[in-house]
Amino acid sequence: MHGSSEAAAAALFGLDPMWMAAILFALTYVVVMTEKINRAIVSLLAAGLMIVLGILNQEAAIRGIDFNTIGLLIGMMVIVAVTRQSGIFQFLAIWAAKKVDARPWGILVMISLVTAVTSAFLDNVTTVLLVAPVTLLITEELKVKPYPYLFAMIFASNIGGTATLIGDPPNIMIGSATGLTFNDFAYNLAPVVLVIMAVTLAPIYFIWGRHLRATPEDRQRVMQFNEYGAITDARLLKQCLLVIGLVVAGFVFARFLGLEAATVAMTGAALLLLLANFGHDAEHQSKHVLEAFNEVEWITIFFFVGLFIVVHGVDGTGLLKLLADKMLALTGGNLTATAMVILWSSAILSAIIDNIPFVATMIPLIKAMAPTFGGPEGLMPLWWSLSLGACLGGNGTLIGASANLVVAGFAERAGQPIRFIQYTLMAFPIMLMSIVISMGYLYWRYL
Amino acid sequence: MKAKIIMNPNPMTLRPTDTVATAADRILKHHLRHLPVVDEQGRYLGTFSIYSLLKLTLPKAVLDKYGLDNVSFVTEGIGDLAQRLGGRRDELVKNWLNIHEVAHPDTPAMEVMLLMLHGRTTSVPVVNKTNSRLEGIISFWDVLEKLIGENN
Repeated sequence: MHGSSEAAAAALFGLDPMWMAAILFALTYVVVMTEKINRAIVSLLAAGLMIVLGILNQEAAIRGIDFNTIGLLIGMMVIVAVTRQSGIFQFLAIWAAKKVDARPWGILVMISLVTAVTSAFLDNVTTVLLVAPVTLLITEELKVKPYPYLFAMIFASNIGGTATLIGDPPNIMIGSATGLTFNDFAYNLAPVVLVIMAVTLAPIYFIWGRHLRATPEDRQRVMQFNEYGAITDARLLKQCLLVIGLVVAGFVFARFLGLEAATVAMTGAALLLLLANFGHDAEHQSKHVLEAFNEVEWITIFFFVGLFIVVHGVDGTGLLKLLADKMLALTGGNLTATAMVILWSSAILSAIIDNIPFVATMIPLIKAMAPTFGGPEGLMPLWWSLSLGACLGGNGTLIGASANLVVAGFAERAGQPIRFIQYTLMAFPIMLMSIVISMGYLYWRYL
Repeated sequence: MKAKIIMNPNPMTLRPTDTVATAADRILKHHLRHLPVVDEQGRYLGTFSIYSLLKLTLPKAVLDKYGLDNVSFVTEGIGDLAQRLGGRRDELVKNWLNIHEVAHPDTPAMEVMLLMLHGRTTSVPVVNKTNSRLEGIISFWDVLEKLIGENN
């Protein structure tokens, strides 16, 4: 039945389904890149066309959607929506600034660390939305330029996000598609992420850090901040810390407990909503639950849904297998060469295009290489190459990651715009440096 | 009843090139909340209000659309705050205008009251539709006076 409808659709346009899928797929990429049409609309429309044109049927399309990724994203977004109301992130930033006696360079390092650690566990955009305002307040008090702080914040958010399964969408997708756990990511990526974070601060110090000065009076004003004043709801804070602790424990013991990441995140979200709303009347509960759901980034979620269908459609036609074979022919089936091609191409492409569709495409492509490298186990270095390239590459230009644009928005409104060219000239070489470090690490540890 | 009947046709105004210090003086002296700003031809440009003064006193990080919504951790005294505002006394009012919804001379009284409620403002500028000149201003007190007067 489905076979005949596929044939009919293909015959209708006189095109091979593979080429039809390829054209639709390429068009999706191009239109998303132009940013003329909202990316959720583009991916859902392309997914609809995949089905209408008979490249795959609805059943197959739904099978293509990775609900583990979707569930993990939504669950974490709900947890963050509730937690941010407690003021914990402002508390952390101020506490860190005071730990270094409000010295300008010390604050830059501390804010970078807070950003990196936070974005290892939360979405990068959320992290910078929480840390940037308090950073701007501190730089205003110190009468220092916010530019270096915001520049470092962009890098810290993308680097920190690379360290864990839940830190960045590429890792969530890779983890979900391969069954690699939270611990696998932490064990394989966190060491190199620490090195990259430390090394990245060096050029920032030489370019800006060593010139940063603040008067003792201005520093004193920051020292007088009372970080406990930032905690707006102590009861909520305790509930959030409890649930986040349980969720992280859930991720760590996921394999032992036989649980998938989405189950951990979604159950955590439900538990937090229960605690935060316990004892309140029905109207209050509805209002608060709705507020939390409203903060889920539905555009990202629906973009993922459409994209999974599009990529699944393309995968089904054998196009990605074909591309994988071409790539292997290019590298001669050599693991080191293949890993390096994946690392560098992910890094360069992620600096220019959205890394989410790129990674969604690369996952089935890399999976198709399993027979060449002796089964799924042999693919491990390739997954780490993809993750490092796609996550770190985002630092290269202002449009490389959504968090970059959010920070640029803050900079612009604060009257200190981060210009595209000026940013790229500094950031691209620093990004390349992080890829060179990743290359050394991959080579030393896996190849 | 139309806007032109209720309005004060000779409101106190500011010029775009007046300084924040001048505006603050006038606001304090006359206990006004909103001062319309007009150019040399008498065209309405916007309103400088007590909220403009609050914005000038607060850090930028608070005013950003994604800015901090709680600053109870900042323990600055009144001296620090005064210093913040003092540092900006020479800025020009034209950079700190609020653009309010305006009424026209023929706008009915009920619509004027709705503008006040929606705009959360206590005064509505009355602007000539054709040449954008400020014809007057209607304060909440003008409206209330008329309402109470009718009832007595």
